Amino acid sequence: MIGNKRKNGILGTKKSLLMLGLACSLLFTACSSNSEPNASGGTNTDTGASKERVTLKVEVFDRGNSPVGSTITDNYLTNYIQENFGEPNNIDLEYVPVPRSEEVEKLNVLMASGSNVPDIVFTYDPNTFNRYAKQGGLTDVGPLLDEHAPNLKAFLGDEVLGYGQYQGTQFAVPAKRSNVGKYASFIRQDWLDKLNMPVPQTTEELYETLKAFKEKDPGATGGQVIPMGMTIASAQYEPLLWSFIKPLTDEQKYTLTQQLGSNDYPTLLPGFKDALQFMNKLYNEGLISKDFGLDKDKKKLGEDVATGKVGFYSEDDINPFYENGSYDTLQKNVPGALLHSVDVFTNEEGKHAKPMYAPNGLYIMIPKSSERAVEAIKYLEWMATGDNLFNLQNGIEGENYTMVDDIPVVVENPTEEALNRLYNGGDMIIISNGKQLGSMELNLKARAMQMPAKFKDQVEAAQVIANTDVIPPVLMDRPIEAQTKYGTTLLDKFNEMIVKTTMAKPDQFESVYETMLKDYMASGGQAILDERTAVYKEMQAK
Amino acid sequence: MASSPHLNRLHKEETAVSWNAYFRRYWQLYALLVLPLIYFIIFKYGPMYGIIIAFKDFNFFQGIVGSEWIGFEAFKEVFGMRDFYLTLRNTLMLNFLDLLVSFPAPLILAIMLYEMKVQWFKKLSQTVLYIPHFISWVIIGGIVYQVFGTQSGMINNVITSIGFDAIPFLTDKNDWLATYLLVGVWQSAGWGTIIYLAALTGINKELFEAAGIDGAGRLKRIWHITLPGLKSTIVVLLIINLGHMISIGFERPYVIGNLAVREYSDVLSTFVYRIGLQSGQYTLATVVGLFQAVVGLVFVLGANYTSKKLTDEGIM
Repeated sequence: MIGNKRKNGILGTKKSLLMLGLACSLLFTACSSNSEPNASGGTNTDTGASKERVTLKVEVFDRGNSPVGSTITDNYLTNYIQENFGEPNNIDLEYVPVPRSEEVEKLNVLMASGSNVPDIVFTYDPNTFNRYAKQGGLTDVGPLLDEHAPNLKAFLGDEVLGYGQYQGTQFAVPAKRSNVGKYASFIRQDWLDKLNMPVPQTTEELYETLKAFKEKDPGATGGQVIPMGMTIASAQYEPLLWSFIKPLTDEQKYTLTQQLGSNDYPTLLPGFKDALQFMNKLYNEGLISKDFGLDKDKKKLGEDVATGKVGFYSEDDINPFYENGSYDTLQKNVPGALLHSVDVFTNEEGKHAKPMYAPNGLYIMIPKSSERAVEAIKYLEWMATGDNLFNLQNGIEGENYTMVDDIPVVVENPTEEALNRLYNGGDMIIISNGKQLGSMELNLKARAMQMPAKFKDQVEAAQVIANTDVIPPVLMDRPIEAQTKYGTTLLDKFNEMIVKTTMAKPDQFESVYETMLKDYMASGGQAILDERTAVYKEMQAK
Repeated sequence: MASSPHLNRLHKEETAVSWNAYFRRYWQLYALLVLPLIYFIIFKYGPMYGIIIAFKDFNFFQGIVGSEWIGFEAFKEVFGMRDFYLTLRNTLMLNFLDLLVSFPAPLILAIMLYEMKVQWFKKLSQTVLYIPHFISWVIIGGIVYQVFGTQSGMINNVITSIGFDAIPFLTDKNDWLATYLLVGVWQSAGWGTIIYLAALTGINKELFEAAGIDGAGRLKRIWHITLPGLKSTIVVLLIINLGHMISIGFERPYVIGNLAVREYSDVLSTFVYRIGLQSGQYTLATVVGLFQAVVGLVFVLGANYTSKKLTDEGIM
């Protein structure tokens, strides 16, 4: 077998060399032609073209959940938009599907291909946005917004728009979030009742409660009790970590915070070490799951909550309350189980400090090579105009929703047709994350009404908690290049640091912490710190 | 393929005849060769063009050609990264241990299967041994978690219920190493027997009979007949394995590894994934890939050279 291969090789040498050369030259020409359209790209203000019928290509997330009769590129919403926006403006809309789970990878490929790039693309990842902006691949939408999009600008507001700027230039239209609350905590009220204990109000009280859960095992789990559910996902550890952070001066806030991906991380903030020390104590006393470092996707946690092993945990505010979610399943598994929303972790000032979402969602971008930048902005402007947003998000009155106290309430048992109308709403209405009803209060109310009625009280409580004492993200004057570069690596290091320091023997905590911090700083943490310090000085000098 | 010697002979005889006549006669054979050639050119040689990304500050709005040359800047950066050395060490360590543990496993298993006389049991064992090969690593990862978990893994449930301390199979680096290696054996050993079993069928049965008559026991027969019969196969596989010393599959370390044991589980392939695909630093990722390829080539050539010197067997 192997000997034969060699002979083939000799016979084919001349030919393969020839073809190799041919292939290379083909590749070269293919790739060099790639870069040409960019040269002719640039801003395009060819308004005279509006008479001619043009095609506008828009990216859309494909979650593979299209109902029978619809596809992600041909459904109620695409037709609605074509009819109400496309036809009057002489535009054909074409949707370009991108799988949700690999949006960044696929988008990179699309952008690099040069041809067939959609006119509207988007991502949740600020690093990707910064990279595109830095490499000069995006259209400056500032003048276009001023000229064509008064409603959109009013809808988003200056704060949200600020997130779409790169070094002072508006390279993206950020979507607006309808709700910025992130986390709440949950406790087994029936366990507390059984032990005759009050709801813990502070971190110290929580510690005592957890110890009682462990010793007395009120859930009769037979030694399997996990007093505090923990994972290596941010929803579980962030509320705990941030409650240990000391009050910060402005300078500390701007220079010592490390933004990795879309979240701010407290690696260098005063108090962070105390938080790790507390985690270490909890772990070594058997108060958190031994395998928390393996649970990146919260699957094990969800399982443990639903089977009644977990006494207390933090999570995205309304996450436990979905139909057939962890609370629903818990009640089926353990009759009489009660899961209550609580706000426990307390910082030095007695506040329940916890992070919140940035007010923006998606970064919507127009590639520089696009010749339909004006139409793209008009598309977004149309969404923000009049009733359009409301109609797109809520469907048809009577069939999809009825109005109760200014809130569109989803019709119970809607027809199949009505249900299928909005399955892709979240991904089509790109200018907003979540339902927009004009005010945060109404938004939250509407959000609670989408949840199962039996959990209404706890959902509302969780939403209030999620919006209490929130720590806003720190926005720098210009993007920190080191963050774009090292963000992913450092996020891994940060998580590793939590896992290693938590799992260390108490007497080894100090040395493990030192080693991990050194590694973190050497892998880009120092570079971020230096750059942020420099930018802060610039900001002060202004 | 069997006609190659034939072709060579003809070639010599017909040197006077024009290339045209020769080609007209044997063009089908060449035509057959075209498909694999095209495959190699498009999928194996074509992408090599991308190597120049390693020497450019790659900006994908400008394409490969349009990006600026930066010489060996990226190499300097990669060779200055701590994680590069850590992942390089881990790659070599995991591969070397794998070679020690996973390489002999299919050989031993194949000999055991070969010695089995009850046919139906032999067939059944083979099938059972092959199955793990067809399970994706993602699923194996899930199984490993369920079986070896510290808090609620099956094995640790048994250990703790009889009063011992749970063993952190997945979260202590040394225990993890053992888990990693054994899972690898479980997954690949059965499938690996195929090539040995094929080679074993080539051994003349009369040799065994003659040895039996001469009074050689089972172990003696294995030592003096079976193993020498497998020698060339073992050498070839060993060379191929050595060539892969520096490269490592992505899925197994990524799926079985975790943050608590990153010190051992982070390897070059996960490193490339992190800096390349996740952080979009294609230049750095290409540098690491190129480095792996060059070192891999050195390993293969070295192993081949040594093997030729020692045993006269080689792949080139």
